[in-house]
Amino acid sequence: MKKQVPIFITLVVGFFATLEFYLPYSGVSSVQETLLRFGQVLAASAFVLGGVNVIQVNYPIIRRRGADWPFKLLLLCSAVAMGLVGVKWHEVGGKPANGYVRAGAIGERACEMPDPKAKKPGKKVACGYIRVEAGREDAQVKLDGDAPVVNGKPHPSAWAGDQHLVLKVPVGKHKVDVSVELAGYGKFESEFHVEAGQTIALNTDLVMLWGPTGRVYTWIYDHVFAPCNATMFALLAFFIASAAFRAFRARNTEAALLLGAAILIMLGRVPFGRAISASLPEVADWIIDVPNNAGRRAIIMGAALGAIATGLRVIVGLERSHLGAGE
Amino acid sequence: MAEARKQDWIDKLHDFDRRWIFLAMGIAIIVPFFFPLGLPVQVSPMVRSVYDTVEELHEGDVVFLSLDMDPASVPELQPFYKAVLLQLKQKRVKIAIATTWYAAPPMLERWIRETVEANFVPDDAPAEKGLPDRDHVKNKLAKSKEGRYVKNVDYVWLGFREGKEAVISGMGKDLHDTFDGRAADGTKLSDIPWMKDRRQLKDFKLLILVSAGFPGIKEYVQQVQARYKLRMVGSCTAVSTTDLTPYYDSGQLLGLAGGMTAAAEYEKLVNHRGSGTQGAEVLNVGHIVVILAIIFGNIIFFVGRARERKRRAA
Repeated sequence: MKKQVPIFITLVVGFFATLEFYLPYSGVSSVQETLLRFGQVLAASAFVLGGVNVIQVNYPIIRRRGADWPFKLLLLCSAVAMGLVGVKWHEVGGKPANGYVRAGAIGERACEMPDPKAKKPGKKVACGYIRVEAGREDAQVKLDGDAPVVNGKPHPSAWAGDQHLVLKVPVGKHKVDVSVELAGYGKFESEFHVEAGQTIALNTDLVMLWGPTGRVYTWIYDHVFAPCNATMFALLAFFIASAAFRAFRARNTEAALLLGAAILIMLGRVPFGRAISASLPEVADWIIDVPNNAGRRAIIMGAALGAIATGLRVIVGLERSHLGAGE
Repeated sequence: MAEARKQDWIDKLHDFDRRWIFLAMGIAIIVPFFFPLGLPVQVSPMVRSVYDTVEELHEGDVVFLSLDMDPASVPELQPFYKAVLLQLKQKRVKIAIATTWYAAPPMLERWIRETVEANFVPDDAPAEKGLPDRDHVKNKLAKSKEGRYVKNVDYVWLGFREGKEAVISGMGKDLHDTFDGRAADGTKLSDIPWMKDRRQLKDFKLLILVSAGFPGIKEYVQQVQARYKLRMVGSCTAVSTTDLTPYYDSGQLLGLAGGMTAAAEYEKLVNHRGSGTQGAEVLNVGHIVVILAIIFGNIIFFVGRARERKRRAA
């Protein structure tokens, strides 16, 4: 039973996955779609299993102070820390507001301004005010999707020096966004109608977010993960140069051919190669297009045939190594 | 006891400290940044094909942009991404962006803020024809929207889904279903007019794949291209180029830009010198260092082997 059930599931799933390629019937297709959704859920669940596995592997080594235990401890602490900052703590107990709108009395402070839509200057329209009371010094404001224009210049900051920014706007509907450039903070968006002489005050206090788009997560990603990841890849340049010096030897004809092709490709793929000879890039392209492609196609087709054979063996239950049959 | 033989120059070569190679490579990377050779970049047919395919798009067309990468491959792939984005902006093409790499989203969200929503050609950029970003900078007060895309209006960020090939296959069948019918910010895809009826990858005019490995271009070809007859172009790391050229030759990929040199070529095509062009300068010297290392290593090998044979014969 322990083996038969997984084999039966594999058979059914494999059967539908294959059948769907050849049968345009919508029933088969909808079953396949459901199976694909299962696949996505399982893939996501694998992360949980992976987490459990990391603990199972590393915790015993830390407990008995085995080899490299401080690194394993660091690994577990980092994993726990990332797990914690990945939770949307700011939403615990309800979604917090990034601010609110306070509307003053209509006609409180009468004003007029040049009509921004008028083709000829001189025409004036009634206006009102928007007062941005930003909680953060680096807050930026957008009026109707663009930086507001103050004294003829775009003024993206939500502050006028050390004073709250007050915008004179024509009577009508307006949309105001207040945000910060720094990733990981909430955004205040509001759409309202400004009446003549009315002041609309926007009191914003942008919330620091948690979770995968949060400030801490983003900071760790930008300042720890990304540089480490890039550094590992960048080291390749040095290792390739070192390996080229130590291991890339023309010991026999095949190795000499490989070496010659590598040099031609390396020269042909950079502008310096063309500077040496205009035909070098053509030679490099020929090596890639003809011998390389021929070899690659053979490998791809061979691998595809192998995958089909292995897939069929798994589907019909002949291949059971994934069930731990060999153990 | 045999007396230790005095080291001659061949022995010294054998004991050559590889840290000198590291130093040479370090210099080869740093110096061209400050003193570029300025060699002309020649556009290869594969890169030209990518450009021509994107050029066929018209205003209002919708493309699917899959950015399957992590921070490690930024230097190689970001220049192409920026160059093709400029071209797309120039044509006012709408973009649906997604990724199948778990390590990508925070980086891509920043890219979207800095390059899709904002203008990334600086104010003092030299005059180059038709760059929407520069035009926008000039016309800021005229409220020109060109060069700056608005979320869920000009572009949609779908985000990341785990599942690799299953996700790619799922997007081929039903994109909305794969992303639970919502963009990454929670907006319903059915509320975005140009996404409402685009439920499958085949509903997009073109797929642009920027891929650093698995899952990436190869999986898109295998899972969805042949099945739905999709029009696809791609950019990959230099090391993947030879893996993917068979798909270009078979017509499954309409164009392929492999590595930093290809990005430099694309920058030339869109008339915008960026980090790809700068990177190609570094590659010029870097490749020469590797070739010299190979030649030097082989000289040591052959001289050593000749001496060994002579010693045996004696």
